[in-house]
Amino acid sequence: MVAGMRFGFEQIRRLPLALFVLLYTVVTGGPFLWVATMSLRTTSEIFKDPYGYPSPAHWEKFADAWTKSNYHTYFWNSVVVVVIAVALVTVIGAMAAHCLARYRFRGNRLMRFLILSGLVLPPQLLILALFQILLDVNLYNTLTGLVVVYVATHIAMTVYILEGFFMQIPQDLFDAARMDGYSDFEIFWRVTMPVGAPAIFTTVTLNFIILWNEFLFAVVLLTDDDKRTLPLGIMHFMGSHQLDVGMVATGLMIAILPVILIYGFFSETMIKGMTAGAVR
Amino acid sequence: MAVITVDQLSKRYDSTVAPAVKEVSFTVADREFMVLLGPSGCGKSTVLRMIAGLEPITAGTVSIDGKVMNQVPAKARDIAMVFQSYALYPHMKVYDNLAFGLRRRGIAVGEIDRRVRAAAAKLGLTEFLQRKPHALSGGQRQRVALGRAIVRDPKVFLFDEPLSNLDAALRVTTRNELIKQQREIGTTSIYVTHDQVEAMTMGDRICIMNLGEMVQIGRPLEVYRNPADTFVARFLGNPPMNLLQGRFAIDDGRAVARFAGRGVELTKRATASLTGYIGRKVIVGIRPEDLYETPHAGASMARLPARVAVVEPLGAETLLVLALEGSGEELIARIGRDTALRSGDRFEVALDTSAIHLFDPDTTKAIV
Amino acid sequence: MSISTRFWGFFGRNSAKPETDARCAGLGILVAFLAPALLFYAGFAIYPVIRTIYNSFHAIKPHGVVEFVGVSNFTTLLFADATFWKAVGNTALFTIVATILDVFGGLLLALCLFARAPFAGLLRVVWFTPVLMSYVVVGVIWVWIYDYDWGLANAILRWLGLGAFEQSWLGHPSTALWSVLGAHVWKWLGFNMIVFLAALYALPGEVLGAAELDNCGWVAKLVYIIVPMLRATIVNLLVLSFIGKMMVFDLIWIMTGGGPLWSTETVSTYVYKRAFEWNTFDLGYPSAIAVLWFVIILAFIAVMTQLLRQRDKLEF
Repeated sequence: MVAGMRFGFEQIRRLPLALFVLLYTVVTGGPFLWVATMSLRTTSEIFKDPYGYPSPAHWEKFADAWTKSNYHTYFWNSVVVVVIAVALVTVIGAMAAHCLARYRFRGNRLMRFLILSGLVLPPQLLILALFQILLDVNLYNTLTGLVVVYVATHIAMTVYILEGFFMQIPQDLFDAARMDGYSDFEIFWRVTMPVGAPAIFTTVTLNFIILWNEFLFAVVLLTDDDKRTLPLGIMHFMGSHQLDVGMVATGLMIAILPVILIYGFFSETMIKGMTAGAVR
Repeated sequence: MAVITVDQLSKRYDSTVAPAVKEVSFTVADREFMVLLGPSGCGKSTVLRMIAGLEPITAGTVSIDGKVMNQVPAKARDIAMVFQSYALYPHMKVYDNLAFGLRRRGIAVGEIDRRVRAAAAKLGLTEFLQRKPHALSGGQRQRVALGRAIVRDPKVFLFDEPLSNLDAALRVTTRNELIKQQREIGTTSIYVTHDQVEAMTMGDRICIMNLGEMVQIGRPLEVYRNPADTFVARFLGNPPMNLLQGRFAIDDGRAVARFAGRGVELTKRATASLTGYIGRKVIVGIRPEDLYETPHAGASMARLPARVAVVEPLGAETLLVLALEGSGEELIARIGRDTALRSGDRFEVALDTSAIHLFDPDTTKAIV
Repeated sequence: MSISTRFWGFFGRNSAKPETDARCAGLGILVAFLAPALLFYAGFAIYPVIRTIYNSFHAIKPHGVVEFVGVSNFTTLLFADATFWKAVGNTALFTIVATILDVFGGLLLALCLFARAPFAGLLRVVWFTPVLMSYVVVGVIWVWIYDYDWGLANAILRWLGLGAFEQSWLGHPSTALWSVLGAHVWKWLGFNMIVFLAALYALPGEVLGAAELDNCGWVAKLVYIIVPMLRATIVNLLVLSFIGKMMVFDLIWIMTGGGPLWSTETVSTYVYKRAFEWNTFDLGYPSAIAVLWFVIILAFIAVMTQLLRQRDKLEF
């Protein structure tokens, strides 16, 4: 009886909490739903009633957006640049992290400081000179140049996360591998990498999301339309379809959907990846 | 067949601090199980790692079967090691953990499979071969670590505190299992531990180290009965040996140790080595089990007046913490379980005079 | 930390060997492991920094014309460039307000979920979604939300009967900065929420239980127990957020391009404009802005860590 009353009281007390939670969910999710409805409607339908339900649903708009603009090019440029850059930065960063975490040598602290100082370098400080440097070495306006810049600017974060994890691998494991007859490089490849897989996975996710969304370096270092990555492509698409809101919404949806889909499957990994540097 | 000889082995990490290991020498006979015993930080693990080849040697030599190993890399020494944390590769199944060391040595796949299955069967791991380490219990992981050493069929086994991550009950059964395996295989072994019970029960011989130096080496009971100095006396045995301030004297031609306000005649003792100590201070050592509630016939007994400070009934026996009336020093006695003594009681504790140890107070070495 | 502790649990006691020479390696091995990272880093991160600093004392004109101008870039910047100071003012306002909203808003959201709100596990994932979206996506969506004719913001005002307050949110100098700020906070709140939530779950349950026994109400518990114990996390997020906002570029560039009338111009957008949009054709002057701003950011990091981290050592 008493418990029942307390339960009722508890419910009332928690009502504002539940309402607030609901409100904030609408605030985060609402805009995405809105874009989703618009992506299935024509611009004239949208201007008649911006918040209407898409009936009939114009699915063909997705095919139009994909084929009639350079969308597929943007998409594949992004895939190529991001996959290569992430693969490179992971292997190179892991090698450096393994070295800093595993070996004692003169200058270890200096090397660590040098590489980790990249954590505080703002892109704005690099971008003007990178523009000049890439022109000098004929990498300006090339996807290769963008990959190189992405690797260089994301090594610090990668090493920072991996080194912290690698340091906790027990020395015994390396000693055992050494007694089993494995060389230093084999130990890195066959012990550190597989044992450090959770941290590797985290940095891969983190770098993937950041680079997939990267805008500043790409906008400065690429000019040709057929070299644009997805964020630049959407900007361009928006510019050329300024008034065709319905089409831009479809374009946005093509950019949003893969992220949402992957997020649906790997939400925990992606959350962990994005917050890896801040949670301690 | 493998004899390990360690000669004047030293290790110095930093020229400014004292060496971690100082001139340690011993020989482990073929098929022998040698235990390196000492408190943490005494250098015993460093000795083991130098034998393994994981740690460069500062001075001295490590030889196996007469061949100096100092410059031979770890992988070429034909040694297998069991680590304290087991060092199982967490991303590999048990099977691959066992096979990993063999694959590097140009052994045929069929032979690897045969050896892995044989070792697994011997250790009762057959049903776990396809599991990963995290799906095993502590005891099973320990057996995989041992199996990884066994499959290699090396000349020498090295163990670095392999049981210290197990709980107390499992430690006892694993201890017996490990000894059984070693006796069966007959591989020369060196075993590092800080646990004196492990050392006493497992070792053919034990080598006790302290502060980087070797203090005493011998068969377990030999060392227990004749500790070389006060460190060994206190380190072996639980509760440790009681050490009291005393003075040595010759009274009417009899050797007498004066302590706790009494003079106790030392029986069955050669007086020759004691002549230098006449009138000098000595440390008197008495093991708790050589103290009795009442004297019993057939032995020469002395009595010391004492007050009972604490009574600790352990079931099979009872420990008494006593305050000696004569000197105020504390003494621990291990007596029968049926005692009626209570805290605060005064009585005269009986002492077997033939079991008294004497140590030099300056060098802490035993006076024999 | 959280991944690793869970992961290493099964190794039992970690047998860290404080002293061992087994960690030594030959120079060749060290070089082989470090060289790739150092080459990339030196060539495309350190060298650009040095070159930017060099540029800041020069006028860099097209066709390779480089003229040494001493500190004149800096003196112009500090004493004769009203737009720069406008950008500094905007950036400062943006940084301070957005940082406070981000961090304490994130804490509030985390507390909601920590207080066992219904569907907390699901909402945690949903609320994080904007963090994963690119600035371009977020920017376009919010440009539409702020649209005068058919945007959500004005639609809601009209629906609430507050039609008098409807605005051209991004078109008016007095509201543009605040509107962009709202979009920025919307994107990042989820990030701070997740970090706080992780920190909250890492708090020792005994302490919260003890507070319960002390008959602590939830407000008192928040003020006296939870916030002090989250101090390290709060400081961490404040510094992180602060640095990020001092460099804000993408969202502003996409939503307003710095306009209208420089009302959303930030230091970063100004650097970009001076370098690539204005017809001044001089990379030296924007380099000087970038260098000066970097020095200011470093100074802020130093000051903030000094001020906030002094009594950081909380044992529990």
